[in-house]
Amino acid sequence: MNDRSGRVTVRELTKYFGPVAAVEGLTFAVEPGTVTGFLGPNGSGKTTTLRMVLGLVTPTAGETRINGVPFAELTHPAQVVGAVLEAQGFHPARTARRHLLACAAAIGVPDTAVEHVLGSVGLATAADRAVGGYSLGMRQRLALAVALLGDPQVLILDEPGNGLDPEGIAWLRAFLRGFAGQGRSVLVSSHLLAEVEQTADHIVVISHGRCVYQGGLDQLRGSRRARVLVRCAAPAELAEALARSGVLEIDTLPDGWLGVADADPVRVGDTALAADVAVYGMVEEKIDLEHLFFQLTVGQYAAPPQSWPQHGPPPPGSAPYGPGPGR
Amino acid sequence: MNGLLRSELRKTFSTKLWWALLIPVLVLSILINLFGGLFTDALAAVSAGSGPVPLLLASMAYALALTSVFAAIAGIVATAGEFRHRTITTTYLTAQGRGPVLIAKMAVSGLVGALYAAAAVVVGVLAGLVGQGDAAFPAAGPLLAVVLIGMVVAALWAAFGAALGTVISNQVGVLVSALVYLLFGELLISALLNNADNPATGLISSYLPGNAGDVALYDIPAQVLASPGLGARYVEVLAGVTSPPPWWGALLVLAAWTAAAAAAAWVVGDRRDVT
Repeated sequence: MNDRSGRVTVRELTKYFGPVAAVEGLTFAVEPGTVTGFLGPNGSGKTTTLRMVLGLVTPTAGETRINGVPFAELTHPAQVVGAVLEAQGFHPARTARRHLLACAAAIGVPDTAVEHVLGSVGLATAADRAVGGYSLGMRQRLALAVALLGDPQVLILDEPGNGLDPEGIAWLRAFLRGFAGQGRSVLVSSHLLAEVEQTADHIVVISHGRCVYQGGLDQLRGSRRARVLVRCAAPAELAEALARSGVLEIDTLPDGWLGVADADPVRVGDTALAADVAVYGMVEEKIDLEHLFFQLTVGQYAAPPQSWPQHGPPPPGSAPYGPGPGR
Repeated sequence: MNGLLRSELRKTFSTKLWWALLIPVLVLSILINLFGGLFTDALAAVSAGSGPVPLLLASMAYALALTSVFAAIAGIVATAGEFRHRTITTTYLTAQGRGPVLIAKMAVSGLVGALYAAAAVVVGVLAGLVGQGDAAFPAAGPLLAVVLIGMVVAALWAAFGAALGTVISNQVGVLVSALVYLLFGELLISALLNNADNPATGLISSYLPGNAGDVALYDIPAQVLASPGLGARYVEVLAGVTSPPPWWGALLVLAAWTAAAAAAAWVVGDRRDVT
């Protein structure tokens, strides 16, 4: 039965809509006390996965569990898991307060909880207006208010940044960090890495319904080493000198620059000086996570997806995972 | 379950639909009972010579039969409307299982239907007292029977509608289909059945859901107003059926249709992917 852990697990999850595979063999877990970012381009199967976790869509194969049981077996489900989904609607003529009161009765929490959540999402003053007149951002806040009504252990959010203004997004980030800080679990989807970069402890990246990466953000950053790009008078000589000093991973870039991995500018400069090679320019290459993310998920609509062994990043240099050495 | 019932009640009474549908119910009941004599002239002629007759019974039965159409609409919108506004996602996320949601919706819709019937009776009796001054006021027994049967018929139709709106979740589609069936489809089917070469097929007409409600409502007024032994004949004329069952049998038929719709809604609703 419900083990009250706050853990969400997805195992070998597969969903076909007719002949189309929306999700295929997806496995991951959301641990209590963490924020898990669920990333992928639009149409990659994020929403379908979240809806399967919440029992709204029946998987073709595989299973999802919350607190060790399928969603359908949770007693008072909304007191265990709160969800903010895309296309979650409201009756346009109903006021926010009355919507929340109807939800509170179904969830099994006292009506006083309604005032509490209205305050915490900042809708207290607009609570008696019909939702039809709400902005997209206000609807998102109302959806979050519904999700929080049951004081859940697990929060699942599908693209919550949509429609929020920058202030709202900053507020949501702080809120999710605080929520996870209380030992609860957060699973938040987005098609933008930047949106979850500052919030997520752990990310799951899917493309074409398959997992292409899961692990920590630091591991993802570490999977691609920083390089120093050098423009010099005699690239071949410098490369030879660097090789003698033990720096072996050197690429010659098409425009004549050298890409030196595992070295800092000081060492490259000193080596160049010792080898009598004039250096015209040196650039430290930054690791751009957004670029990595793009490479992970690129080709969703073109080539068949690549599947990586799960848990941890693929070995460095394995195509097409980033421009590895020698390319 | 209590929580779900309370939730459905709060949903129902937090939008304008319930009184928007109540208005035509009240207007129709007032008009029908005010001019009830016109509708029941045929019955009165039969009893001519035996003094004033309680015409209100028949006009009330007619008003209640129409009320049940609006009860059905209320039930349909209670479920199909949730799919239309996509609130069904929240409803399913906050409930333990979809079956209890269906039951709560059918129960609350049934209550709304019964309330519509009760409201139609209140204004109908008042209108009848004003407009049918020449007629006799019905005895308490038969009037109460018609009122209670009307409330049950409206409640069953509303619950039927709630189940139907779960099976066909497209609100416009299910509303149009239900209204076309109730207002034209069943008349056509009944006519075909009653005029078929094999007289046995005519018997089926009483067992169609719309006719079953009408038979239940017209049975008692016909027995009171028509001369003895002719009651069933008048129910046949009024409801457009052949050899109708008694009112309680007709109620059971309607209940069976409602149960069948509920079973279909349970199966379809449970398997539907809410995307």
